Amino acid sequence: MADKDILSELKQSILDFDEDAALELAQESLAQGIDPVEAVGVLADGLNELGVKFERMEVFLPEIMLASDAFKNALSVLEPEIKKKNTEGKKAIPIVIGTVQGDIHQVGKDMVATFLATAGFEVYDLGVDVAPSRFLEEAKRLGAKVIAAASLMSTTRPVQKDLIDFLEAKGVRDQFIVLVGGGVVTQEWADQIAADGYGQDAIATVNLAKRLLHVA
Amino acid sequence: MGMTGKERLTALLSGKDVDRIPVLSVCQYVTYGLMEKTGAYWPEAHYDGEKMARLSAGGAEILHLDAVRVPYCQTVEAEIYGSAIKDGGRTHLPSIAKPAFSLGEEPRIPENFTAKGRIPAVLDAIRRLKQTVGAETLVMGSLVGPFSVAANIIGVSALLKASLRKPEQLVPYFEAAEKTAEQYAQAIIDAGADAIVIEDMMASLDMISPKTYQAMAAPYEKQLIDFIGGRVPVIIHICGKLDQVMKDVAATGAAAISVESAVDIPAAKEEFRQAGITTPILGAVHPIDVLLEGSREDVREAVQQSVAAGVDAISPDCAIAPDTPLENLLELTKAAAELDL
Repeated sequence: MADKDILSELKQSILDFDEDAALELAQESLAQGIDPVEAVGVLADGLNELGVKFERMEVFLPEIMLASDAFKNALSVLEPEIKKKNTEGKKAIPIVIGTVQGDIHQVGKDMVATFLATAGFEVYDLGVDVAPSRFLEEAKRLGAKVIAAASLMSTTRPVQKDLIDFLEAKGVRDQFIVLVGGGVVTQEWADQIAADGYGQDAIATVNLAKRLLHVA
Repeated sequence: MGMTGKERLTALLSGKDVDRIPVLSVCQYVTYGLMEKTGAYWPEAHYDGEKMARLSAGGAEILHLDAVRVPYCQTVEAEIYGSAIKDGGRTHLPSIAKPAFSLGEEPRIPENFTAKGRIPAVLDAIRRLKQTVGAETLVMGSLVGPFSVAANIIGVSALLKASLRKPEQLVPYFEAAEKTAEQYAQAIIDAGADAIVIEDMMASLDMISPKTYQAMAAPYEKQLIDFIGGRVPVIIHICGKLDQVMKDVAATGAAAISVESAVDIPAAKEEFRQAGITTPILGAVHPIDVLLEGSREDVREAVQQSVAAGVDAISPDCAIAPDTPLENLLELTKAAAELDL
């Protein structure tokens, strides 16, 4: 019974976008011996519920941002425990992610990065306003096979194409899986610029990455 | 003889009859094609009044829009406040690299605001546009709404989070941004502009709740529009699905409201009708799905759909992507001109 309570409280901390409660409850759940994967699961449930309300315009972006902060807070204590458990056997697959040059939108990209991390990828978040050359440098340095590039403005979407053209020009296009996403991006656009995949939202991007990398 | 673009929009914005549906781009309309045709290019055109005017005049001379506008980006005010600007080069718009302030810092209002940064170039461009295309085309000076300037000087994330947690901390930024917007609006009027566009893109329900719009964005929009006081008509542009606040936007006193196709325009028109609101609604051709990626036939259809939905003038939903094909923009004006009202 105690387990159920703390898990539902943990989820509630996301619905209340309460950063402090999320952190405390995550610590508490570990102290009670709750499986951290299960704890992350209820946190994700909370985020998903808010996501549905967001779609219906019952909650708005500031609430989502604060909930996402609360999620990250909880994750900061849960993730190391999950990693400890995962060390034997499979190695996490590195992914670099960022918002393209000229674009400073952060929220959607952060959400995707968070979901990829919870799905077990080793996520390197390059932040916003990331130049094509920097995507390549960092991917090489970190041994990442996947580059995820977000664009949230009609005026910066062409930069996703710039990134792909840049990889082509450097003769390394075939060494990377390039995923594109963001509010102004469509499957049609992804096809047009010959990206390897289009992630409509955070969950779709996780599934896409798993499919393209042939991981369960 | 039909009306000129200027006569047509002036009539619309003052509640009079028009000979056909007006067509304009309330937000920026520069494309790579337009740069080539006019020989005026980014980034120089952001800083040089002559080039800015020449490039914008292409909106009338090449695209045959009923209005032209300057500037192209939304960073002019924030740069003067001290936000670091990242140049967009030839292909992209300038953007905010680093906001000027951290939440809690006092937002100092720079002295001689309208003599600083790129404002003199914008004013110069307005004066030139009045000379070159202003006889027949409405010349619009565009400024950024106080809520969005605040976002550009303290950072979008900081602003959005504070809007829930510490709204009182934001007030000094809104107040400062409204004061400088008044100064900028005055200078735009003095330069001879026929209309002012207020772009308050961050005041969108994509970003904030209706309550936040009503409490933190609309009051400052209204204050600014009251200051302008009908000396020139004001078109307000806010992005996103605004259905829940359309009446609040109308209550700011703007002469027209520019919206995206995400808005249920027939419902908004009906809501206005019942409330006795006559403010025209401008829109709503999607800049990506239709103008960038669509065919000329798609453009024609979107124009017809917008008119059927009840818009009072045709305009793209928001800023046009710079790689939009010229023929689609030409089709926008052509399709509008051929429609029978």
